[in-house]
Amino acid sequence: MAEHFPEPVVEQIYTLNLGPQHPSTHGVLRVLLDLDGEFIIKADPVIGYGHRGHEKMAENRTYKQFMPNSSRMDYLSGLLYNHGFVLAVEKLAGVQVPERAKYIRVICSELNRISSHLLWFGTYVMDLGGFTPFLYAFDDRENILDILDRVTGSRLTYSYCRFGGVTRDIDAEFIAMTRKFIARLRSRWDDYHNLVTKNVIFIHRTRGVGIIDAQLARQFGVVGPNLRACGVAFDARKSEPYEVYDRFDFEVPTGVKGDALDRYNVRLQEMEQSCRIIEQALDQLPSGPHINEMAPFKVRPPKGEVYLAFESARGLTGYYLVSDGSPYPYRCHIRVPSFGNLHVLTEVLKGTLVADAISILGSIDVVIPEIDR
Amino acid sequence: MAAREELIKKIQALLPQDAVCRDDSYKAGVVFAAQAPLGKLREAIKLCEGCGYYLESITALDFQDTFELVYHLNCYEPTSRISLRVLFGHDQSPPTVSDIFASALWQEREVCEFFGIRFTDHPDLRPLLLPEDADFTPLRKTFGAVHAYHKREEIYG
Repeated sequence: MAEHFPEPVVEQIYTLNLGPQHPSTHGVLRVLLDLDGEFIIKADPVIGYGHRGHEKMAENRTYKQFMPNSSRMDYLSGLLYNHGFVLAVEKLAGVQVPERAKYIRVICSELNRISSHLLWFGTYVMDLGGFTPFLYAFDDRENILDILDRVTGSRLTYSYCRFGGVTRDIDAEFIAMTRKFIARLRSRWDDYHNLVTKNVIFIHRTRGVGIIDAQLARQFGVVGPNLRACGVAFDARKSEPYEVYDRFDFEVPTGVKGDALDRYNVRLQEMEQSCRIIEQALDQLPSGPHINEMAPFKVRPPKGEVYLAFESARGLTGYYLVSDGSPYPYRCHIRVPSFGNLHVLTEVLKGTLVADAISILGSIDVVIPEIDR
Repeated sequence: MAAREELIKKIQALLPQDAVCRDDSYKAGVVFAAQAPLGKLREAIKLCEGCGYYLESITALDFQDTFELVYHLNCYEPTSRISLRVLFGHDQSPPTVSDIFASALWQEREVCEFFGIRFTDHPDLRPLLLPEDADFTPLRKTFGAVHAYHKREEIYG
């Protein structure tokens, strides 16, 4: 649409508040749009409504006390964040983790990634006016929540990992449920493609809309499916394998143009790759303890720092921890993927139509509380 | 690996030998850490931009005797993250890098509101996450209850 964008007539600029409570803003996000007719000439996202001060809280809590906070930043992929935090502390303090626990963590993390992508799929299509796929996606997602609820005890804000393992072992029932779910999800792809991917209205709303090219992505630090949609196969699970990801055979799906349709396709393919990882992990699952009983109750990492990057559902996320040798972190900074993914909108929204703004905002899959921290 | 080796070579040429430290074991999550003086920060960041890196995170550390800014940069190749660190006094202002990496526009706003570090020549330093009228800097160790306020050498010494 950008090529039709005429020079703005300054007297006719109209400022529109999108949000903070708009149904498509996925959290409390306000975007100040300066409009010339229906075209956006400037977009200024206003964030911070969900700021809770997690980084300050970390400095006043022991590592273990801060652990439940980790899953409350990005509440849609809470287990991934929980997993990442535990990995960072283990790396800093040198805590050993049994093999079985590593596999359990990977299985649960990938389940969480699928549930996050499914929620995105449902809400994105709903933003574009299709209500039915939303119900399909939530039906599937509910299965994951049941599986994870059974082993972690919670549905959304998981605090399942422990320094040195996981809190509860998985059993044969869990494995059976997971395998059944994967078979069920695979049987649903046809429905999804028939309902959405092949839908001509959906294609018109997404193809060529909100193009983020590789250069723009690099300037703004865009990561995750949004980056992969423009053809850069960058995934922390491949580039700096943590846990046991280097033992699995999976692909990093990429797009070509970096438009909303590519981002949609990349996420759908990622769910299939996550299924492949889970299957392999279940096949290779070793026996043994699920937690290192010798892990210290009160973690006191030696003086120093660590930056641990992992791939959350929205892209590369990093915990930067500085330890002064006490049980309290001296500094805990969290590099969140949605930060760059939202910031790039200030550039991408310029010259697009208001209606496309909703489509673009949905397609980049931001979780605002993760940016606000 | 090409971009990483090229960048390391360039930074080693820019900074004195004792300011750079390479760690191929990737123990702290970075392959290369460099301590840049305030005056050479922008030059070092420009080198990163030229080598295909992106700016992953900017954050600050507050010590009794000094501020420290930590820039993490990464490129789309395996295990390539580097960190650039710069020390400066509590009353000094570092230069902005937002004209080199656009992502610094928001990240520097965040550092500014939480630590009170005013980046010179930054076009827009309004608070990002805090309220518009916030007159406090929450991540300073002088704000609220803190467990420890160290000198830098007590941790990195």
